[in-house]
Amino acid sequence: MSSLSVSNSHFTNELAVSIRGVGLTYTTSIDKKPTLKARVKSLGRGKKQTRIVRALDDINLDVQYGQVLGVIGTNGAGKSSLMRCVAGILPPSQGRIEVYGSVSTLLALGVGFNPSMSGRDNVLLGGLAAGMSREEIDGNFDEIAEFSELGDAIDAPMRTYSSGMYARLAFSVAAVVRPDILIIDEALSTGDAKFKEKSLNRVKELRSDDRALILVSHAMQTLRDTCNDVAWLHKGKLVQRGEPNTVIDAYQEFLHLGKSAVIDEDF
Amino acid sequence: MSTPLQVYEPFKAGLPKLGRYWKSLWSRRTFIKEYSKSELREQHFDSVFGQLWLVLNPLLLSGVYFILIIIIGGATDSARYAHLTASLFLFYLVANSLTGGVKSVTAGQRLILNTAFPRIMLPISAVVIAIFKFLPTLIVFVVIKAVVGSPFTVQMLWAIPVLLITIFLALAVAITISCINVYFRDIASFLPYLTRTLLYLSPILYEASALKPSLRAIEIVNPLFPILDSWSRAVVQGKAPELSSMLQGLGWATGIFFIGTYFFLSREREFAVRL
Repeated sequence: MSSLSVSNSHFTNELAVSIRGVGLTYTTSIDKKPTLKARVKSLGRGKKQTRIVRALDDINLDVQYGQVLGVIGTNGAGKSSLMRCVAGILPPSQGRIEVYGSVSTLLALGVGFNPSMSGRDNVLLGGLAAGMSREEIDGNFDEIAEFSELGDAIDAPMRTYSSGMYARLAFSVAAVVRPDILIIDEALSTGDAKFKEKSLNRVKELRSDDRALILVSHAMQTLRDTCNDVAWLHKGKLVQRGEPNTVIDAYQEFLHLGKSAVIDEDF
Repeated sequence: MSTPLQVYEPFKAGLPKLGRYWKSLWSRRTFIKEYSKSELREQHFDSVFGQLWLVLNPLLLSGVYFILIIIIGGATDSARYAHLTASLFLFYLVANSLTGGVKSVTAGQRLILNTAFPRIMLPISAVVIAIFKFLPTLIVFVVIKAVVGSPFTVQMLWAIPVLLITIFLALAVAITISCINVYFRDIASFLPYLTRTLLYLSPILYEASALKPSLRAIEIVNPLFPILDSWSRAVVQGKAPELSSMLQGLGWATGIFFIGTYFFLSREREFAVRL
């Protein structure tokens, strides 16, 4: 459980997250939803209608304070699964994850929001869902409102918002959290070009020596600009990790060719 | 090197560290409050008519049941009506916890997939909502009691421990059923039948003392029976309830709470992949 109140100061190169031999397997049912009816019906047949998904396979990864780690990979590569493991949402099936600091996640925008409430109420709800205290939210409210550029609309119910407005408010709430370790999953490309620029700048501001940032993104140029380290995942495995330009070049080359020598070794 | 703040290892059956879990849950009490409030508002209970409906709904229900009692049972009196409303209102506290609790975890999917928090918060919110819905009916009951001229006594204070036991039971069933619903999604469709059966097995349409000796088994298998009996004795008759009834109710609530919470806590880390 992330708790923001225990935030300590950390030093550059101090270990923030240590991922050791982590694997994640889960079974999904082929039936859409697990029901008692389905269970009773399949009693005689003995076999459960499930499929095993291997989302992560023996991942070893260290993140140090002061690092901005970009995580890249094709859809279904296990990026989000890995982030959820680090955040403590999914327990790993194998291995061990150690987290040395408070973690805040921005895995999806507007978590905890209730569309029938006003933007103002949702700032409170979203902030509380992100683990902030009421005082922290009240103290930061003006900053959130200003950053979101919503103006008077902040008091209107959120169901009246356009999707851009919704995303802007959601990002603004998340942006005031100041954890030791921040995980952002594809949440940067929100709103119009101007707001995109603004949110990217905010992320750059968040880069500091006593914080670790993990960015999951498909925007390669953004990662080249922001990160000082990039990890490339493919089908649940860590393919390459290192200097952003090198790894991203390799990844882009792989995307265009469809396969590459690095991948062929494993499959 | 400093010690890790959090360690995540393969999921083993068993409980998480309870001290830390409780601390984490306690630090989110504001969230529970605001989350419940927003749910209530979504159901329009912040508006005048919403609140009115909250009172009108159980009143109409008790009216319908009262007609039923007159038709089936023949003559009846005002004290009987007071018993009916008091019991029905308390019954709905548990029934609303059940219906609210059953989908609390599955409906919180987005929250569960994207943030780490003690999942038990979700059924707890369902019970908080049920309590908020119960409170206005309490006022309605006091008015009814005054109108029918039923006595107000000091013994009515026994209603407070009875209410606390009921809330405990409501929490226990909400936690249990929310966990079951993750694995069997169709439980929600059986629920109306379950609550309806409970309603008829409880001393609401009849008084506990009116039960035939051959049907005494109902008293033992229905957790709500001793609680509703105690409640009616305290608030309607203004007498002290039997201690054995209250202990029986508390026993049921404690039993369900521990079993349900054990399953919930040992399973909740798996919820994210189950949704």
